[in-house]
Amino acid sequence: MVQALFQPRPASMAADKLPPSHHPHADIIHRLEAGGSMLPDTPENLMQIIGLYKAYAVPMDFYWRDLLYIGERVFLDPLPFFKYFIPQEYLDLHNHYAGDDADYRIWRGIATAHPELLEFMARGETIKIPKLLHHLYHDRINMEFAEECMRAMLWHRRMYCPANRFDPYLDSDEYKQNADRAIKAYFQGNPVMLGLYRVFPDLFLEQCRQMSYYANLGLFWEVMAPVFFEMSDIYDEGGFKTVSDAMNFLVNGIFIAAGRPIYHHVYIRGECYEIIPKSKGFMWLYEAALPYVEAVFYRTSPFRGTKSYNAQAHQVPDHQPDFHYGILYADVFPVGTAGIPPTLLMQDMLHFLPPYLIDYYSKHCRGEDDMLIQLGISFQRSMYNVTSAVIQALRTALLYPLDDPSPKHLMANRKFFEAQMNRFLRPEARLRMIQSQDYR
Amino acid sequence: MLSLLIWLPIAGALVVGLLPGENPRLVRLTSLAIALSMFVISLALLGQFDLKAQGMQMSEFIPWLPVLGLNYSLGVDGLSLPLVVLNALLSAIAIYIIPPKAERSKLYNALVFLVSAGVYGAFVAQNLLLFVLFYELELIPTYLLIAIWGGQKREYAAMKFLIYTAVSGILILGATIAMAWLTHAPSLDMSAINVGSLSASAQVVLLVILLIAFGIKTPIVPLHTWLPDAYVESSTPAVILLGGILSKLGTYGLARFCLGLFPEVWSNISPYLATWGASSVVYGALTAIAQKDIKRMVAYSSIGHMGYVMVALAAATPLSVLGAVGQMVSHGIILAVLFYLVGIIEEKVGTRELNVLNGLMSPIRGLPFTSGFLVIAGMASAGIPGLVGFIAEYMVFQGSFTSFPIQTIFCIVASGLTAVYFVILLNRTCFGRLDNYTAYYGQTNFLERIPALVLVGLIFFLGIQPTWLVRWSETTATVLSTKPVAAIQSTITELTIQ
Repeated sequence: MVQALFQPRPASMAADKLPPSHHPHADIIHRLEAGGSMLPDTPENLMQIIGLYKAYAVPMDFYWRDLLYIGERVFLDPLPFFKYFIPQEYLDLHNHYAGDDADYRIWRGIATAHPELLEFMARGETIKIPKLLHHLYHDRINMEFAEECMRAMLWHRRMYCPANRFDPYLDSDEYKQNADRAIKAYFQGNPVMLGLYRVFPDLFLEQCRQMSYYANLGLFWEVMAPVFFEMSDIYDEGGFKTVSDAMNFLVNGIFIAAGRPIYHHVYIRGECYEIIPKSKGFMWLYEAALPYVEAVFYRTSPFRGTKSYNAQAHQVPDHQPDFHYGILYADVFPVGTAGIPPTLLMQDMLHFLPPYLIDYYSKHCRGEDDMLIQLGISFQRSMYNVTSAVIQALRTALLYPLDDPSPKHLMANRKFFEAQMNRFLRPEARLRMIQSQDYR
Repeated sequence: MLSLLIWLPIAGALVVGLLPGENPRLVRLTSLAIALSMFVISLALLGQFDLKAQGMQMSEFIPWLPVLGLNYSLGVDGLSLPLVVLNALLSAIAIYIIPPKAERSKLYNALVFLVSAGVYGAFVAQNLLLFVLFYELELIPTYLLIAIWGGQKREYAAMKFLIYTAVSGILILGATIAMAWLTHAPSLDMSAINVGSLSASAQVVLLVILLIAFGIKTPIVPLHTWLPDAYVESSTPAVILLGGILSKLGTYGLARFCLGLFPEVWSNISPYLATWGASSVVYGALTAIAQKDIKRMVAYSSIGHMGYVMVALAAATPLSVLGAVGQMVSHGIILAVLFYLVGIIEEKVGTRELNVLNGLMSPIRGLPFTSGFLVIAGMASAGIPGLVGFIAEYMVFQGSFTSFPIQTIFCIVASGLTAVYFVILLNRTCFGRLDNYTAYYGQTNFLERIPALVLVGLIFFLGIQPTWLVRWSETTATVLSTKPVAAIQSTITELTIQ
C-alpha cells in the first residue's frame, strides 16, 4: 500500500507570508501553494477524475503489456501484422506493483491482466467472434493511441536533459553496439534483412530506438495502471474526499516508483539481449515519467497533414511553445482537432466507465450520444490533476515544502509554480476552461 | 373542389381561433389535421387534372357583383396547379413547424391558414378583381406573422413589407380597373378581357404597371429592398410561406397577366425584360456572396433565382415557360428547406453569423443531419445534376438561350456564383473546427427532421424523375408560349386586311 509521504497543510503558508501573486493564473497558483491541484476541488470533479482513472487503467493494462511485448518480442519484425495480438504469456505477466508477489504492492488486486480487460478482449462490443474480425472491426483495445504516445516521446528529444539520460544514451556508441548485436541476432539466417542492415544501418538503429521507447512507455504504464486501479478502489470504499487527496496519492505513487529501473531487453530465440541494461541506472521518474508528461501532456505530435516534421532529421522543435497539442491543450472533438488523437483512447475508456460516470454523463449535454466527448473532457480534467501531481512532486524534489517558514523559500516555490503556469498562458490551454464545471 | 381548397383554410382559421382555452396540443393537432386535409385535396386535384386539356379545368362560376364585373370564377391549368400543390405542401409544413409553445399559437395557426387561403384564391381566381381580393387577403396576415413572431427588427420589416406589397396591390387594382374601363369588358373575368383591342401605348402603360406590381412581389431588382428585411426578420414558418410561395404570386402574375394578357407587347419588350431578369440574377448572386448572415444569404439567393423565372418568361418558348413553372416549384421547395434548416441552426446554435458558425457537421456535438440536409439543399440550389434545381435551371437555360443568348449566359455564370456562395456557407457553417468550449447545442430529434426529410426527398425525387415536375404544365406552357406569336400574327393579318 502507498504510504503518505506527501501531506500538505490544509492552509497555505504562502498566503500568510507572501503578497498575492499577480499572475494571470494567480488563483490556481494560490491553490497549488495550499497543496491543491490545478483542478478545482469539487465532489463532481473528484468523481469524474477517479471514474476516468478506472476507465483509463483497464486499457492501460493492455497498453503496457503489449508495449513490452512489441519491444521485447516483436522487435524488428518487418511485417508486424500481429503485434496487437498479445500472447497469453504477456497477459499473465505479473505486474510489479500489484498482486501478492509485487515488488511494491500499490494495487490490492491481481498481478495478471484485469478481468474486465479479458472479458472485453473476448467479446468486444459485439459478440464472441474470431480475434482477427474483432481487430479488423476495431472492436478492440486501440493500441494505436499507445504507439502515438510512444512516438511523441521518441520524437521530442532532449526532454529534461541532463536529468533524463535515457535519450542521450540512444545516441551513444554503447547503445549502438548493443543494438547491433540484437539486430544481427534477430535477423540471423536472413541474408536479405542483414544485407539491408548493412546498406541502411541507421534505419534499423532508429527502429531499435523506437523499440526502446516501446519498452520505456510500457514500463511507465506498468506503474500507472495499478495506481489508477487502487485509486478507483479507494474511492469506491469512500476513501478520497477531495481532489487534493487524489492528487496526493498520485504524488506519493510517483515517489514510490521513482527509482524503478527503465531498461530494454529483447528476447531472441530464448536468449535475452540487453539493449539498455538495468545496470545503466535509468529511473522511472526522470527517464520515463517526466519525459512522458512533457511529450504527451504538453506537446505530442500534430496530425499528419496539419504540420509535418522530419523527426529523424531533428526538425521537431525543442521548445514547447512551438508545440502545444497535448491533452492539456487539445480540443477533444474528433473532428478538426490536433495532437495525439485522444479519440481512440476515449473509445477504449468508453468500454470501462464505472456506472456512476455513465449515470452522470447521461444527465448532461446529449447524454449517451456524446458520452465520448464528455469523457474526453473528464479525461482532460484528470490529466490536469496528474500534471498537478507531477508539478507538486517536482516541487517536493527540487524546492521547498509548502509549509516552509522561510518567505524566501516560499517565494522560490511561487516562482516555480508561476513558471509552470506560464505554460498555460497560451490560448489553446484548457486550464481556464476546466475551472468551470459547465465545461463538459 | 377548388372552393374547398380556399374555404377549408378560412374555416380552419376560424375553428382554430375559436378553440376553447389555451391548449397548444389541441391547437396543433387541429391545425395539422386541417393542413393535411388541404394537402390531400391538392393531391386529389392532381389526380383529376387532364394533362392534355387546354384551358382551365375544374372551373367554378358564381356571379357575385355583376355591376363591378366581379364573379366568383375559379379554375386551374398547368400554370396554377403545381403552385396550388406547392402552397398546400408548404402551408402544411409551416403549420407543422410552428413551435407548440409559441405565444398566441391559435392566432399564429389561424394567420397561416388565412395566408394559405389567400394564395389558393389568387392562384385559381379567373376574375381579375377576385384575384386582387385574394392577393390583398394574404397581405395583413403576412404582415402580422412578421410583426408578431419576427426577429428584433420585425416591426420595421413588417411595415416595409406592408407598404411595398400594398403598393403592389394598388397597382394591380389600378391596372385592373383601367383594363375594364378601357376595353369595356362585360366583366373582369380574364376570358372576357381583350387587351389586344387597346392601343399599343395603352398596353405598354398597363403592362409596365403590372410589371412593377408583380416585380415588387417577386421581387425583381431594384424593387426588392423589402425582401431581405422581411425574410430575415420573419419566423421560420412565415419565411417559408413568404419565400416558398408568396413570392410565386409575383412570378405567377407575370406569367398569367403580363404574358397571358399582353402577349404582343410582352414580346416587343422581352429583350429588356430578359436583361432585367438577368441583372436580378447576377445582383442576387453577387450580393449573396457578400453576406455574413446565412439567412440573409439565402434571402438574396432567392432574388437571384426569381430572376431566372423572369428571363424564362421573357423568352416565352415552350421549354422556357415550362422551365419557369419548374423553377417556381423547385425554388419553392429548395428555399423552404434552406430556410427551415437555417431556422434550426439559429434555434440550436443561437446565431446565424458565418463568422461564428463552424463545424456543425461534427457527428457528436454538431448538427450532422441539419448540416447534411443543408449540403443537399445547397447543391440543389446551385443546380447540381440529379436534384430538382438542375432540372428547372436547365430548362430555363435551354429554353431561353435561343431567344436571349447573352442574358442566358449571364444566368449560367450566376448559377456558378450560386455554387460559390453556397460553398462559402457550407464551408464555414458545416465544416471546420467545432470548439468544445461553445458547442453545447441541442440535438434535432426525428420529429424536427421530418419537414427537411420530406422536402429533401422531393428534391431528389423530382430531380431523378422530372416528369412529375413538368407533366402538369406542358400543355399550358405551349399555349402560353404561342400567345405572343399568335398575337403578332393576328396584328399582321389585321394590318394586311386594312
